[in-house]
Amino acid sequence: MTSTPTLAIGVLRSPRTPRPGIVVLASVLVLGAFALAAVFAPFLAPYDPHAVDFSAIYASPTLAHPLGTDGLGRDTLSRMIYGARTALIAPLIVVFASTVLGILLGLVAGWRGGWLDAALGRLFDLVFAFPALLLAIMAVALFGKGLVAPVIAMIIAYVPYVARLTRSLVAAERSRPYVSAYRVQGFGGAWIALRRVLPNVTPVVGAQSTLNFGYVLAELAALSFLGLGVQPPTADWGAMINESQAGLLGGHFLPAIVPAVAVVIVVVAVNIIGEALSDRIGGGMPA
Amino acid sequence: MAPGSAAAPAAVGGSRTSAAVRRVAGKLGGLLLTLFLASLLVFFSRFLVPGDPVRFLLRGREPSAEAVAAVTAQYGLDLPPWQQYLNWVGGILHGDFGRSLQYRQDVTIVIAERLPVTLLLVVMAGSIIAVVGLSLGTVAALNRGRALDRLTLIALTTLGAIPSFVGSIVLIAVFAVQLGWFPSFGSGDGFLDTVYHLVLPSIALALVFIVLIGKVTRSAMVEQLRREHVEVATSRGLARALVVRRHVLRNALGPIITVSGILVAGLFVASSIVEAAFGLSGIGSLLVQSVDRLDFPVVQAIVLLVVTVFVVVNAVVDLLEPWIDPRSTAGDSAR
Amino acid sequence: MNVLEIDALAIALPDGRRLLHGISLSVAAGETVALVGESGSGKSLTARAVLGLLPDRAETTGSVRVQGREVLGAGGKELLGIRRHDAAMIFQDPRASINPMRTIGDHLTESLRFCEGWDRGRARERAIELLAAVRLPSPEDRFRQYPFELSGGMLQRVMIAGALTSSPELLVCDEPTTALDVTTQAEIITLLTELRASRGMGMLFITHDLNLAASMCDRVYVMRAGAVEEQGTARQVLTAPRAEYTRRLVAATPTLTSAGPAPARSGPAVSADEPPTPMLSVRGLSKTYHRSGKSPVAAVVAASLEIPRGGTLAVVGESGSGKSTLARMIVGLEQADEGDIVVDGTNRTAVPRTRDERLAHARSVQMVFQDPYLSLDPRIPAGRAIEDALRLHRRMTATDAAARARDLLEVVGLDAGHAHARPRTLSGGQRQRVAIARALAIEPDVLVLDEATSALDVSVQAQVLEVVARIRGERGLTVLMISHDLAVVRRVCDHTVVMRRGEIVERGETGPMLDDPQHPYTRLLIDSVPHPVMS
Repeated sequence: MTSTPTLAIGVLRSPRTPRPGIVVLASVLVLGAFALAAVFAPFLAPYDPHAVDFSAIYASPTLAHPLGTDGLGRDTLSRMIYGARTALIAPLIVVFASTVLGILLGLVAGWRGGWLDAALGRLFDLVFAFPALLLAIMAVALFGKGLVAPVIAMIIAYVPYVARLTRSLVAAERSRPYVSAYRVQGFGGAWIALRRVLPNVTPVVGAQSTLNFGYVLAELAALSFLGLGVQPPTADWGAMINESQAGLLGGHFLPAIVPAVAVVIVVVAVNIIGEALSDRIGGGMPA
Repeated sequence: MAPGSAAAPAAVGGSRTSAAVRRVAGKLGGLLLTLFLASLLVFFSRFLVPGDPVRFLLRGREPSAEAVAAVTAQYGLDLPPWQQYLNWVGGILHGDFGRSLQYRQDVTIVIAERLPVTLLLVVMAGSIIAVVGLSLGTVAALNRGRALDRLTLIALTTLGAIPSFVGSIVLIAVFAVQLGWFPSFGSGDGFLDTVYHLVLPSIALALVFIVLIGKVTRSAMVEQLRREHVEVATSRGLARALVVRRHVLRNALGPIITVSGILVAGLFVASSIVEAAFGLSGIGSLLVQSVDRLDFPVVQAIVLLVVTVFVVVNAVVDLLEPWIDPRSTAGDSAR
Repeated sequence: MNVLEIDALAIALPDGRRLLHGISLSVAAGETVALVGESGSGKSLTARAVLGLLPDRAETTGSVRVQGREVLGAGGKELLGIRRHDAAMIFQDPRASINPMRTIGDHLTESLRFCEGWDRGRARERAIELLAAVRLPSPEDRFRQYPFELSGGMLQRVMIAGALTSSPELLVCDEPTTALDVTTQAEIITLLTELRASRGMGMLFITHDLNLAASMCDRVYVMRAGAVEEQGTARQVLTAPRAEYTRRLVAATPTLTSAGPAPARSGPAVSADEPPTPMLSVRGLSKTYHRSGKSPVAAVVAASLEIPRGGTLAVVGESGSGKSTLARMIVGLEQADEGDIVVDGTNRTAVPRTRDERLAHARSVQMVFQDPYLSLDPRIPAGRAIEDALRLHRRMTATDAAARARDLLEVVGLDAGHAHARPRTLSGGQRQRVAIARALAIEPDVLVLDEATSALDVSVQAQVLEVVARIRGERGLTVLMISHDLAVVRRVCDHTVVMRRGEIVERGETGPMLDDPQHPYTRLLIDSVPHPVMS
């Protein structure tokens, strides 16, 4: 009798697709707001993020400085707006590149199988042994501080995750009767893989990549927090938290809390959207 | 009429053990291969950097000609790369990871001094993760669809969005500075004092991982709850708690343990963040420090250590697989 | 007092959907009652209600009494008591119903150890007793084995043994043989009838197979869409059904002995002096699978068969007979090791490689697959699926292809509106029709139906087979039908070939062969098919 259905069937058999709730909508809006902030930072920020003002160190929130100032008198709100740039763009690059590469490799491995699959599998096993943050730290150790080397390292670190997921989905689809039906009708393997199987598989991978965005964001910000990523005086949420540590012990919380809250809000929003996408698609790792 | 038996039962005893031995040997072989490839990657990565490898090791330091000569001799930098690699591996197998450039001591000593703090931190965080993650996941799964499930999911999503560096400063701000319940810096003296100092750091470290374990637990258990054998056990009159324990939890263990295995190495790496925030002198902060001060031998050693932990833990998980899921001995055909 | 008494049982979900509309039935001590219905009839739900296994938020009214004890709304202890002592249930898929990560022994002794407090030794003894009672060979060895090491039939015996541990008065059987081969099914049914006789149990037997119900049950209830359509003795329901639905169901149910419509013979009458070249000719086809670490499996051994132009041939066998592998080789999905496949004079043995080869092969043979859910691409609407096939094989504008696709949909009994429907919105029968239309679009010489109706309800199956028969008549299509169901085969195919363990053991005209089989295996197959008892 028919076995437990997975992927394609999740789409087939879930009759009711719940409409996106208000929470998801709010998340999209929040994310959009931060994205806009990143793009239009020079127009939105009231101050230059690097503008030092020793007369207003650790100022409390006032109309002039709605979120206060940090230990060097720089406006926290402006720095938060500018910080959205590195916070959002770098993970975007990582996720985009790793998804594209991962899908490609996973498709080839899952569709062809054989020695190629085995070889890629070994390669992925090797990369898996290095946690993403570790690879990023290694990259900094080799190539110096900044975001370029860590971004490339994280792309390499995340490709195997995407590729593994794609591979198992593709391998599962390959054995489904509808794929055999295409073959019997006379369609060629490449056409079936690219034009019919891949589109069935990408929604699930896409949902997972959305979640990965959150992880990468947190990891890159952590790297900047450690002083290995974005370097002062550039405004970046992780770096801001790093710089605010001294003030923390003196009871000046705002310069640390503001970027911290920004990180949490964005990651929560991304998680909510990613989970909602996963639920809608109704698929995932085949059992 | 004799019943048809399409599947001959696996011959007990003999062939089962030999198959088991083959499996173990295979896994060990795979483990060694990955370790070997990883060590190659770790060692030869510095050759990826453009320029002279000697200069690379001595970056940031103003070396005199004799210092360069001394270092070259000490690290064997004039030897061909593959021989340098073999020397390095040979040294490691004897417990010699080279010398730290910043501390001018054996790397082994430098690491050994700092290892206990990190280990304790990881163990404490691990306990929190296991207890809280499993409980939240189980509660959510058993109440799926109802208010408790939704509440737990919300809690998990929010908690999961708090990276360790954020968690650290929030905990410091609230519990150390504001309330003064816990220290915000250092690892204290003596065992109990150290544990006290590590409470906040281990919570900060555990947060993100609690979510990962919680989610895996929930989805694995929900998956099992809808399986027919659970309904069958219920129909035989077993009490609910018993059914959950013997059929749901037991079967859900597989994915949970697999995910846990993958997370362990991540815990070690994430500890670097927490150690930096709380001023703890463990392996993690040593790693960051060494990167900052361009002490590559230490970086190499720590990276290799973390990778070894990952490979070993996952190999153990793989070896445990037959106990967790007996079907795996028969290969995929049995599923 | 009846062992089971259900009175006006109605179940609704919180969102208002009603699943059962007031079911009433009874089972007396030692009586066997069948609950027959197609999918969605509510028969499984009714069965589960007997043991209180209802969906969490179901709203129930009415009463279900087992040995006089009320099940609905029963408190914890009450319900456990009923499940432990009065009633037990066996389920459809034994592989899914026994925890794959625990041993057989664990499954059997679980309720004894945890519910009755027996110690291990005593529980083990009882378990082995029961395994012997269900005729499982070497019960002591089985004790330590895991489910994956046993076959489906053996696992079902284990499940029955498990249900009997509590010596229940009522045994509820939910399609216990549907997932098994015909011969295994016969064995299990024999076992069940023996057990019920020796233990004097009442039995509630759920099935979709009217013949099976009539062959072993005293009384039959026919259900549809959550209500009882008809009830009576087996004889009454089969020979003189009162309700319209039952009449249709009986008409649609193929039986071995039914004088159904003779298979349509289209195509020229065979002249004695010059037999025309057969449309499909298979000679000495063999395939062996080599798996690493295990002994090679000979899936198909020297198979030969022929189908004349416009004829129909059935390949009948149980699981492991090689019939599916044979079909896959003919269709070009698997490469044969030896032998020839010739379609309309052209050799089609090799699996096609180049584009031209693929297209040519596709025009010779097309296939309709078994699983209606998985054989259509979930993303592609029905019309587009057909258009893709059309445009692959000939140059057509999009509009022409769309029009042609609509025509084909009508040929299979769907209307143009279905062209935009995604598979998820279509029923199983509708999907198979789309699959047939898609196959027809390529205008193949031979159409292979690989268990194409096995997953469908009886009435839907009848409709789809009727479509196939009509198309055959109109277009003179040659049909190769793979099936395990002799009754269906009798209705549809002129000739039949019986396969067992990769070999063809008997061949001949369907009617005469089924009336007077020569090979013992064929005889076994025929005997295993449930015969309604009309006493």
